[in-house]
Formats: sequence, C-alpha cells, structure tokens
Amino acid sequence: MVDVNKLRESLSAMPVPEPRPGFVDRVLANAKHDIRRPFNWWAAGLGALAATIACVALLWKPAPAPEPSIRLALNESRDVPLVIDSERALDDATIRLYVTGSVELAGYEQQHEIEWKTSLTAGANLLSLPVVGRAPGDGLVIAEIEHQGHTRRLSLALHVTAPGDDSA
Amino acid sequence: MAAEFDLLMRGHVRPLYRYAYRWTGDVDQAEDLVQETLTRLYSDVPRLREIERVRPWAARVMYRIFLDWLRRTRRSPVVYVGRSGSTGECFDDEDEQAEAPADTWNPEDLTERAFEMERVTAAWARLHEQHRVVLSLHEIEGYSLDEVAHIIEVPVGTAKSRLNRARNRLRELLNEGTNPPAPTCNSPETQ
Repeated sequence: MVDVNKLRESLSAMPVPEPRPGFVDRVLANAKHDIRRPFNWWAAGLGALAATIACVALLWKPAPAPEPSIRLALNESRDVPLVIDSERALDDATIRLYVTGSVELAGYEQQHEIEWKTSLTAGANLLSLPVVGRAPGDGLVIAEIEHQGHTRRLSLALHVTAPGDDSA
Repeated sequence: MAAEFDLLMRGHVRPLYRYAYRWTGDVDQAEDLVQETLTRLYSDVPRLREIERVRPWAARVMYRIFLDWLRRTRRSPVVYVGRSGSTGECFDDEDEQAEAPADTWNPEDLTERAFEMERVTAAWARLHEQHRVVLSLHEIEGYSLDEVAHIIEVPVGTAKSRLNRARNRLRELLNEGTNPPAPTCNSPETQ
C-alpha cells in the first residue's frame, strides 16, 4: 500500500531538468515577434547518422536507387530508425511515407502511401519505422517531409533475403 | 504592449515550463509547448489584463495546445522519440520547499528515498499523458479540483474521476515491480 503523503512528497520531488540557457528571455521575445523562421533544411542537415541509421537524401532529379543498407530476413519485423533533424520546432508538418518493393509497414499492410500531420521538435526527431520484409528482393521506403511549401525527401533502401540466402 | 506582456508573464514562464515538462517528459517538447502558449497569449494581451489569476489561465491555454499535439501524434503510424531531459539540477523555484539539511537524515532514509524516487519517476513516465496532467496539477502544483476542472475544461465530476483513475493507475504501476521498462515519448505499449 502506497502512503499517500509519501507519494505526494515523491511526486513533488521528481526532478525537472533545466531548460536551455536564456529560455525565459527567448520565449518571451519570440512570442512578441512571433518568430517563424523559414525552415532551413540544408542548414539542419540530417543529424547524427550513425551506422545503424541509413538515411539518404533524394534530389529532385531522378536518381538511381540507393544501395540497400538494411537487410531483413523474410517476414522479419524490425523497427528501423530514421532521423529528421530540424533547426526549429515545426507545427503542422506533413509526413508522407511511400513504401514499395519487398517491404511493408506493420499495421499498414498493402498500403503504399501513408500521410499524416505532426509537429517536429527542434533537434533530432527520431522516427521508428516498423518495417516488415514481405518478399525476397529490394524494397524502398521514402519519407517526404513537407512544411510551408518546403519539401525534403529521405529514402531508405532495404533488401529482404530469402531463406537460405547468405549473401551479405 | 510588449513591456506589459513581459510584466504579466515573466513570473509564470518557469512554472509553465515545469508543468509542460511533467506532462511531456521531454525538455524540447516542454520548451516548445511553453513557446506556443506564450505566442498565443501575446495575441490576447487585452484579455490577459482582465484575468485575476494568470497562471491557471495560461495553463488552460497550454493544456489545449497539448491536447492538439496528442491528437496529431496519435494519428502517426510511427513512433517519435524526442530528446529527453538530462537529469540536471532541480528547478530553483521559490514555491518549492527546501529539502531538509542532510545531517538530519540517516543513511537508510536516503537509500530508501532514492529507491522510492526511482520507482516513482519510472512509474510517472509510464502514465498516460492525461493522467500526468491531472496528477501534476492537483498533487504537485496544489490546484483544487475546481481549478483543475477549469484548466482541463471538464466538469468537476469528470476531473475528480480522472484524478482517481490517475491515482489508481499510478499505484498499480508502483506496485507492479521495482524495474518497470523505461519508455520513450509516445511509444506504444509493447506486447
């Protein structure tokens, strides 16, 4: 049985991390000026691309499909991380996922295009894509992020190995 | 108007951040939530002038924004993992009581306290966001039920039952075990 007073005490004592330096002045100033800097995709870059995160930008011009960077076994489910690095928090961003080839997203079987509106926080936004390998061969997931007329695409190339296929 | 807004709101920014952090569990999201709240409030300074108690009013505005965020992210088929806060120093807030001096505690109390804090923090992180909101407003910030109901814009009866459910859920989580899994922001329940 949890003692109520002790619980209240513990709840009140839960640490709250400091906000970034200058937070109070900054938020008050921004509120007055309603700063909505245009999102600078190029300055934002792609964030920390560790070996486990494969994230290749597609240019507007048609480009050859990237080399598969993630390998899945047939019917394997895996949460694949994708980083979207944003210089600033963005409300009402639209994210579209296009899924083709040998993979699907768990819970969205046979859906090749998924779209939703969301907010991105300043800094690294880590999306965890629930990918499933459905057939042997190459697959592609393209993430398109749109905000106020600016669009950026990221693509993730995958390869699903057939049973007994040991090719690396 | 800018100077007036500053005067009206400066003393409330840190408490609002504290609420926002307890609701979201994430420093970036908490900062953004406060930013959006202030931006909205700035457009309504004439109304702010009329309000007797600004902080609950601002908390109400912030809660509406928070609900919008929750609705939008719930539709997402993927999981977002924002930057979580560092375990830096606690807020230096004049409303919080100072801790008792260390020499009045015995080491057993300290160990038990640290253990309890870990359990409570882990359980808190697993709570549904709306439970965190009512618990933080009532149990931590000391708002009355009427005030909580006003902030979250529900009838008092609804606020009371939500608070009871939140308390029960927190007790369940605390009683579940000493090592609950550490969740990520908005992560779906696993299995």
